[in-house]
Amino acid sequence: MTGDPRAFLAIDRGAATAGAALIGRVGGAWRLLGSVALPAAVDDDALIDLLIRRVEAADAVLARHLGISAQQSGAIPAVTVRTVPPRRLAVVAPSERALAPLLEAASRSGWRTTGASVETTDPLAMTRLLLDGGVHGILAGAGDPPAPDERGPLAEFTALVAAAARRRPDRLVILAGAMAEATDAFGDLNAREGETLLGPAARSGNDGAPLRALLTELAVPADDARRALGPAARTLATVLDRRIELVEIGFDGALRAIASPGDPSTGPTLDVAIVPSARLAPADPDDATVDRVLAWLTVASDRHRLRDRLREMRIAPWSDLTGDGAALRLSAARAALGRLADATPEMSAAAAPDLIVAAGGVWSIAPAPVVALALADVLRRPGASAYALDHARLLGPLGSIPDEDERAAVISDLADDLLAPLGSVVTPAGLRMGRSAGSLVVHGPGGDARGRAPIDLVPGGIEVVDLPPGASATAEFRFRDGVRLGGRGRHFAIDVVGGLAGLVVDLRDVPIKLPERADRRRELLEAWQIAVASGVRE
Amino acid sequence: MIETPTADLALVPSRPLVEAPIDAVFTIAPGDRVVVDAGASVVVGAPIAERLRDPRLEDKAVSEPVEPRPGDRWHAMPRVVGPATPGGPRGAPGGEYLFPWRSRWRVATGDIVDPLETPVAGIVRDVRPGTSITIRAAGRGVRGVVALGGPTRGRISLASGPEGGLRPGALDVGMAGAILVVDARVDAETLTRARAMGVRGVIVAGLASKERRDFLASEARQRAALHRLPPYAVLVMDGATRRPMAGPIMALLTALVGKEAAIVSDPPMLIFDVPDLAVPTPPAELVRIRAGALSGHEATWVGSAGRRRFGGGVDLEAGRVRLHDGSVVAVPLGDLERFV
Repeated sequence: MTGDPRAFLAIDRGAATAGAALIGRVGGAWRLLGSVALPAAVDDDALIDLLIRRVEAADAVLARHLGISAQQSGAIPAVTVRTVPPRRLAVVAPSERALAPLLEAASRSGWRTTGASVETTDPLAMTRLLLDGGVHGILAGAGDPPAPDERGPLAEFTALVAAAARRRPDRLVILAGAMAEATDAFGDLNAREGETLLGPAARSGNDGAPLRALLTELAVPADDARRALGPAARTLATVLDRRIELVEIGFDGALRAIASPGDPSTGPTLDVAIVPSARLAPADPDDATVDRVLAWLTVASDRHRLRDRLREMRIAPWSDLTGDGAALRLSAARAALGRLADATPEMSAAAAPDLIVAAGGVWSIAPAPVVALALADVLRRPGASAYALDHARLLGPLGSIPDEDERAAVISDLADDLLAPLGSVVTPAGLRMGRSAGSLVVHGPGGDARGRAPIDLVPGGIEVVDLPPGASATAEFRFRDGVRLGGRGRHFAIDVVGGLAGLVVDLRDVPIKLPERADRRRELLEAWQIAVASGVRE
Repeated sequence: MIETPTADLALVPSRPLVEAPIDAVFTIAPGDRVVVDAGASVVVGAPIAERLRDPRLEDKAVSEPVEPRPGDRWHAMPRVVGPATPGGPRGAPGGEYLFPWRSRWRVATGDIVDPLETPVAGIVRDVRPGTSITIRAAGRGVRGVVALGGPTRGRISLASGPEGGLRPGALDVGMAGAILVVDARVDAETLTRARAMGVRGVIVAGLASKERRDFLASEARQRAALHRLPPYAVLVMDGATRRPMAGPIMALLTALVGKEAAIVSDPPMLIFDVPDLAVPTPPAELVRIRAGALSGHEATWVGSAGRRRFGGGVDLEAGRVRLHDGSVVAVPLGDLERFV
């Protein structure tokens, strides 16, 4: 931002919904004044006009003080991010063994991928893939040095890729690993319209991190919301001095980021994965996708009907959000979250973060406790974390502020406004089924037991303790047997914070096990939902 | 452009009724022979490419004076000598040089070719051998959500039954050459029977996933047969669930009855070149409910209803609309659409 504005707009133009928030300078600090979300098909002017009119109606004096009026909405500075559909990368390699890590790296770096190796694809089919009109770039890679099974087909593979690159000089080409030494076959690289880049091998560095970083840089445009979410998470981690996990589920892709404030010597750290295959609404849902959604669905449906509704969700993602549509949306979000977790196993294996933040329009339709449950259903790790929601979709726009200090100042001011506290979720693992696992007592800040009797902990269920937003407490657990909860032990005292869902003690299996029979599964899912929703605060 | 009477109406997602210009993309594969050049003007039915039906890869030696580049045409000895075309001598399927390998060339070739004819007149904007041909179509188009099969061309004909659907028994050979407009929904059996009757295409509001899968499987089996099939396409206007065709689109299709139009798959569209056709303009305040309990109903926009709570505990921005029976209801903005 430039100058010294008294208010600015933060606009997150997603693929399904568009969110706008108005932020004003109040009492010497930036505060969130209001936010709206509308279908993405509605243009920015209508979105902003609605927001400004609401703020004016709510507090005309403040609006005048900040110089905000619907007539002059165009004069309000704005930070805008938008989400564009991920582009497609043809990933090719001489062998299946070389292909697998390349696909893994590309598919979590913001690219939709289609892979082929010489081992399983004939040269004609591979040429067809490389020339396909829907392909934006080519990633051709081999090990460095090439493995024995790659050396044989490498020369023919290089000739094939070079020929395709010559035919499509506008196409991005990335040569990874040993392929980077075969540039002679590609002729004059400077004469190509499209970029030709040399990249590290798929497994070089920190398990392929350098190649992933290169691919991510190429995948998402400068003003993309997912590009901005990483810096936002890092700044938030620094401002709150907490280890943060950010999960965003979007119409066309998903993001998972783990940020930590680090220490003075290393500075803050950030690990980001952008996974298009974890999108909410796949274009052509296959049986596996449908079954995964069906597994979380609380309303009766069959594969055919569900596939129809998933297609409808793809066509008009902003519609059919009420009634069964809301249940479908949350089931699809859980399925997408599951795919995101599958694509980022090292993040799932890491210790539970201090704070898990959910972002993306899909969460905005559900009551806050149900969002917390959806996250806890899928991101299952032993430990305790606070949960929060980017309810006004501010993290993307704020993450796009290029100056680190300015971004930190704004996020620091807005820290209390931008995150809706969902509560704390404590998930012990290793409980023995069939008998009481132990008890819980919640102590208030002064050490009092908040007038509660010890809560019996029954494995397989969910216990909810009313702990309002802004409150903090210490949860004292006494288990009959040793459990995993961060470390292994029987007696734990954990500091927890309140939220719209309160304190949720999740005594279900890690990972979760759902009944095979659809009716029993639906009953169980509904029972869990009722357990957390019983303490709904609005 | 239709004028919006109130500012609030801008909160309703808009959908273009008619679009122009349209760049229709025809996909081709390595080995297919392009017979038009970029910049050329094409008429309806003009061949633009020859597609290899069962392409295969062959190793070919290249004589000394020839220095092929990837994508160049490889010419087999012509069996029938004909006039030269931009793609080479007519009558020989030939092939395409893919890449050099061990002093020879890998060539994509085949024995049988199927001509690809343009269903629209226009100007060839882009030719990428092995990838696509793009034609800037003359005329205007109505966008659907997906087109299966195609490209195709025929005269528009209304074929809906009393409940907005079409049954196999309602089809007869008199419909040959037509693009049938089926209001609400159609099944795979009807689609395959229509193709057998010589129908050139079907336009339908919704096509269920099961019917889509069955139809595509049937289509693939038919295409694998040795004899060439006439072009046939299914254009889906709305989605996968049952709902009647939107009134403004139905009015336009009704106005097109008896006229020739084309279905292309990229973008999924019905393209018509009828310059003197007055497109029926819907009232600006007309909105259509595309999802929810009132799905398929059309109504009149009354105004914004602000944030409302709906079934499932969901709070959404809503609008008030007046139904045909005079009742005013609040509907989530996302469930509404208007035509511009």
